[in-house]
Amino acid sequence: MTADKSVASYEVLSPWAEADPIPLKGLAPRVADLAGKKIGLLCNNKRAAPLILNVAERLLKERYPTSETSWFYARSFSVSSLEADRKAEFDDWIKGLDAVVAAVGD
Amino acid sequence: MYDAIYIEEHDTPAVTFAFEHFFNDAMSAASSKGMPVVRIVPETIVSESTVVEDIEAAITAVADDMVVALTRPLTAEEKSPRPREPEHPEKIVFKGSLEEVNRFFYQRGWTDGLPVIPPTEAAVAEMLTGTDLPADHLVAELEPRRGKATVEKIAINAVMAGALPTYMPLLIAGVQCLADNPVSGMMAASTGSFSPFWLVNGPVAKDIQVISSYGATNPGNIANAAIGRAMGLITKNIRGVRKQIEDMGVFGNPGKYSWVAAENEEYSPWEPLHVERGFKKEDSAITLTFPQSFQQMMPFGTDDKGILATVVGSVSPARMGLFGLLLTPAHAKSFADRGWTKKAIKEYIVKNTIVPDDYFPRLGLKTDKPFDRGNVTGPGLGPQIFRPSPRDPDPVQVFVFGGFGSWMGFMQGGPPPVTKKAELPGNWDKLVARYKNIVPSYVRY
Repeated sequence: MTADKSVASYEVLSPWAEADPIPLKGLAPRVADLAGKKIGLLCNNKRAAPLILNVAERLLKERYPTSETSWFYARSFSVSSLEADRKAEFDDWIKGLDAVVAAVGD
Repeated sequence: MYDAIYIEEHDTPAVTFAFEHFFNDAMSAASSKGMPVVRIVPETIVSESTVVEDIEAAITAVADDMVVALTRPLTAEEKSPRPREPEHPEKIVFKGSLEEVNRFFYQRGWTDGLPVIPPTEAAVAEMLTGTDLPADHLVAELEPRRGKATVEKIAINAVMAGALPTYMPLLIAGVQCLADNPVSGMMAASTGSFSPFWLVNGPVAKDIQVISSYGATNPGNIANAAIGRAMGLITKNIRGVRKQIEDMGVFGNPGKYSWVAAENEEYSPWEPLHVERGFKKEDSAITLTFPQSFQQMMPFGTDDKGILATVVGSVSPARMGLFGLLLTPAHAKSFADRGWTKKAIKEYIVKNTIVPDDYFPRLGLKTDKPFDRGNVTGPGLGPQIFRPSPRDPDPVQVFVFGGFGSWMGFMQGGPPPVTKKAELPGNWDKLVARYKNIVPSYVRY
């Protein structure tokens, strides 16, 4: 704080908004091994996403020939946030998987 | 990130590839959804890259990390993240001189880089006279941080921006616009540098002197400058979208300082935008769009034929999102005199703005590749640039503002517009009278 009495001093309020703490969630248990597992490839609508997952899929199959892959193509940045009409389809897709690799193109 | 979190919540392990420069952004997004320890594999692929060699090399380099992220047992923190300490900020966060306050705020990351007006209790109390809502009224929680946009926090940011109390109704309506648009948080953070553009309609525009004519979006008057600036500070301090942390705009956008105009209702021959969008003419309203680019051009002619030819012949096939056609009042009159409505203009543009059939082949792009935009045309859609869809049924908009000149403009990018009514306080006329003389008085030379 300035010691110069000729300089005006201001007591100021914070512009930074309060935010309620939200309940935190932990991650799902991992799988011990990807061999023989069904792995989802989740691709959003950004154009790098399918290219990334193409490579990931090939590498997974090279390493784990008994694994299977299943793609889901989002129409937007996020199925769960922006595509209410596909929620059931998305939920069904997740149910059949052991793990998911996602690419967001960013 | 949101989908990976959703998948984890459904008891399925997930890993997400993200460009290494976006790690902070990804973690903020995850944290905002209650999963602060999500597993991300940073890679070196530049956002939206289509360079297959780079992608091949980058993913191959982190393939082990992908496998580990799905198989390595969870840590205690990943199983059960520690709750965050609740934030109980002091009411008075700092005391000092103008310079010291500004330095403190800047170092906290609370400004847009320009000096701010210190938000003292007295200044905020004066700002709060601009609304009948109580200071603790919660207008909205703004994603991604879910910061509480109370009337007081809006007022504090408004003071900092140099706003007058009479701007509060529009700022509150502006926050409602941000909250109502499900992708506005993404727009604020996007690599595409989408900038909010605020168009004001109704009597409030004249009451508080939001400029609608010459140089409407130029700096030089408080309303156009401070309304957009306040909304930018709200985006930073309430929404929690900060430069290079969550806002990863590649080029950035000067419109983020402030980009505000009033529609030139006085000289427009058509119904104002807010009336077109369901409000009464006597309502005051603000409309939010998120263009990423603004292009001005001289039309081939200033009649309907010349302007429309300029539009349908000048729109880039590589563009994205909403298209706003900016017409001066003179252009609008030229159209109206020949019987054109806004609706007819929009329909004409949707129908006639096309990609020539040979456009992509001439560029050397083949539409059977997954990554070029030419491939998004589906059966029956044709090569139209603008495709009305359930999400965006009206992808072309017409905005009338600016002075009397022959330049026209395009605003391109972003989601459909959102319009909200500004609720004026009961003593509005007195408030307007109190601040109406705060105007520049220029000397002749």
